[in-house]
Amino acid sequence: MAEQTLTLEQPWEDVGLLRRIWRGRRWYGAEWYITVAGGVLLTLILLMTFLAPVLAPFDPIKTVGGRFTPPGGGKQWLIAEAENEAIQRPEDLAGRKVGVLPDTTGEVLAEELGAEVVYYPSMLKAFQGLTRRRPEVEALIVEPEAAGNFMKTYGRFVRQVGPPFGPTFVLGTDNLGRDILSRIIWGARSVLLVAILSALFSSVVGVPLGLLSGFWGGKLDRVLSLVMDSIYSFPGLILAIAMAAMLGPGVLNIAVAIAVVYIPTYFRIVRGQTLSVKEELYVEAARSLGARARTILWLYVFPNVIPSIVVLFSLNVADSILTEAGLSFLGLGLPPPTPDWGFDLNKGKAYLPNGYWWPITFPGLMITLVALSFSLLGEGLGEILNPRLTES
Amino acid sequence: MRSLRVYIITRILLTIPMLFILVTLVFFIMRVLPGDPVKAIIRPGAPQEYIDEIRHTLGLDRPLLVQYVDYLGDLVRLDLGTTLAPVRGRSVLQDLKDKFPATLELSLAAILVASLVGIFTGVQSAYHRRSTLDYGLRLYSIVIYTIPVFWLGLMLQLIFSVKLGWLPVYGRVDTLDMAPRTITGLYVVDSILTRNKESLINSLQHLILPALTLGLYLSGVFTRLTRSNMLDVLRQDFITAARARGIAERAVIYRHALKNAFIPVLTMMGLQFALLLAGAVLTESTFTWPGLGRLLVERIEYRDFPTVQGAVVFFALLVSLVSLIVDIIYAYLDPRIRY
Repeated sequence: MAEQTLTLEQPWEDVGLLRRIWRGRRWYGAEWYITVAGGVLLTLILLMTFLAPVLAPFDPIKTVGGRFTPPGGGKQWLIAEAENEAIQRPEDLAGRKVGVLPDTTGEVLAEELGAEVVYYPSMLKAFQGLTRRRPEVEALIVEPEAAGNFMKTYGRFVRQVGPPFGPTFVLGTDNLGRDILSRIIWGARSVLLVAILSALFSSVVGVPLGLLSGFWGGKLDRVLSLVMDSIYSFPGLILAIAMAAMLGPGVLNIAVAIAVVYIPTYFRIVRGQTLSVKEELYVEAARSLGARARTILWLYVFPNVIPSIVVLFSLNVADSILTEAGLSFLGLGLPPPTPDWGFDLNKGKAYLPNGYWWPITFPGLMITLVALSFSLLGEGLGEILNPRLTES
Repeated sequence: MRSLRVYIITRILLTIPMLFILVTLVFFIMRVLPGDPVKAIIRPGAPQEYIDEIRHTLGLDRPLLVQYVDYLGDLVRLDLGTTLAPVRGRSVLQDLKDKFPATLELSLAAILVASLVGIFTGVQSAYHRRSTLDYGLRLYSIVIYTIPVFWLGLMLQLIFSVKLGWLPVYGRVDTLDMAPRTITGLYVVDSILTRNKESLINSLQHLILPALTLGLYLSGVFTRLTRSNMLDVLRQDFITAARARGIAERAVIYRHALKNAFIPVLTMMGLQFALLLAGAVLTESTFTWPGLGRLLVERIEYRDFPTVQGAVVFFALLVSLVSLIVDIIYAYLDPRIRY
């Protein structure tokens, strides 16, 4: 009988991690959902980051299509002279003269197919090039909308070869004809690298300083606190701007510029917690047993600070992502052509009055999603790990 | 009142070391970091004499300690040096003074938006605690903070300026002759003072989107602060007493509770000033708003070292000054705050 009871009431330790997390929703309520939402979002984003080479349909730094192809666009029509039987498939274009309009996907495709490219300034000129008595080109590669009108008017003299061919740009292309989807996917790598690196730098400097300052107190504490408070009071972005401007572009430089801004945050929280943990009874007990200061700091104080550091780290990464994006938006981020969301927004901004909405919409959405995932995770964990701070 | 005076004097004295540290930090960022300021200014291939001349003009050929003492001395006399580019020899302080009103106008309008949105949502969130509305608003305060402020601006521009065509995309006024005669430098205020209706409408149209952008960005923080302060106040006895006296619920919330929750919110607003400035730099860049942030970014592009340094020092002064003023107001309002 006793054995049965054991199997019925499975001990807590035997339950798998995932199931334990799943059970947690019952007593944490809203905070649990916030944390899990952040966690799931973050997992998806990390997955995207690691699978970037598989997921990205194109090379993020190469011109793969026309300028400002709208989302979903990219397919091209191949138009040949009605009587010309030599051209039946796009592959037949190799070595032949093909007419395109500059800065279009047709241009890229013609080059890929090994055709000799002739540029025309307008559709009309292209048509003339194709249908003159002595044609300059044997075929045209044109955008669907233009081709539609074209066929309506001149259908008698030309024929359309096969179904539309070429790539599809799900999120469109930017001012240089680069695929936005691929840039977004690869951009996650650069942004996360900078953000996590900078958060690591900040914590590695801020946490030990906070521990020492809180534990030993005295003059060191007063000086450090004053310095940290001064930096803390200063607008972080402006400090980062000044540092990034002096250090110049580069992953490490940007990470350092952002890291300095967040050191005081770690320092303040860790120092505060150390001050309160220091007074706990178990620390006094350890001290009366003759434990050395280093042992107390490392084995008794530090473990109690870890939950706060975890929360802080998550929020710090969220903030770093936003700061990095801000720096690159101001042109102080990673050196181009590295895919970088903030910089893409900066470039896209100039074309906003022309109504090109896609180059500025999607990178910003990604920044928000990634920052949000870390932020939700941090907020939720903060309330779960530090219930005392929660205002019921 | 004597103790208040003591508090104010102590508070001012405490600002000095803080300012000193910030100013020192700026000095070292600009000189000790691996990036050589002169190399940053000069484009590759410049003749050596020119490099030496710039180095001499900036005083960078002297020992670091001498430079530091000189720098502090200049700061005390409010001398921020002269510009290098795009025009050489202008007073940096004058440039900053010229651009400051634009930033001030944007910031004040943004604070207005943030307070209206933040306080209203905060009160609602606290009053309907643990309801769907509360969770929704708490989520709002998290999400709005993680939306990059410059992207929020771009999206508003896209919708209201480009697609709908309701509001202008860039700048403070359409053309410079639309700007009112300068009195305070705040276009809206100047337009009213000079009774210039045309420029009032024009400058308001230009102000709406940037103010909304920066205001919404800050509103999330205000929502949170108002919510937690309101929760504290709503729990107190005088609220129960007010309700028992049969005072209308709306009056209890807005007249009795909010008034008491407001003082802490006010100080917190002061602390958010740094966030406001950082947001303003990005917002100005999005809307080509000719303020301090735009100046800073523009001069970084021109590699105008003295102005960049001056602007950062100016921001440091501004932050310290605002936090000083807010603390003094707080102490004045709340007699418990004394040293």
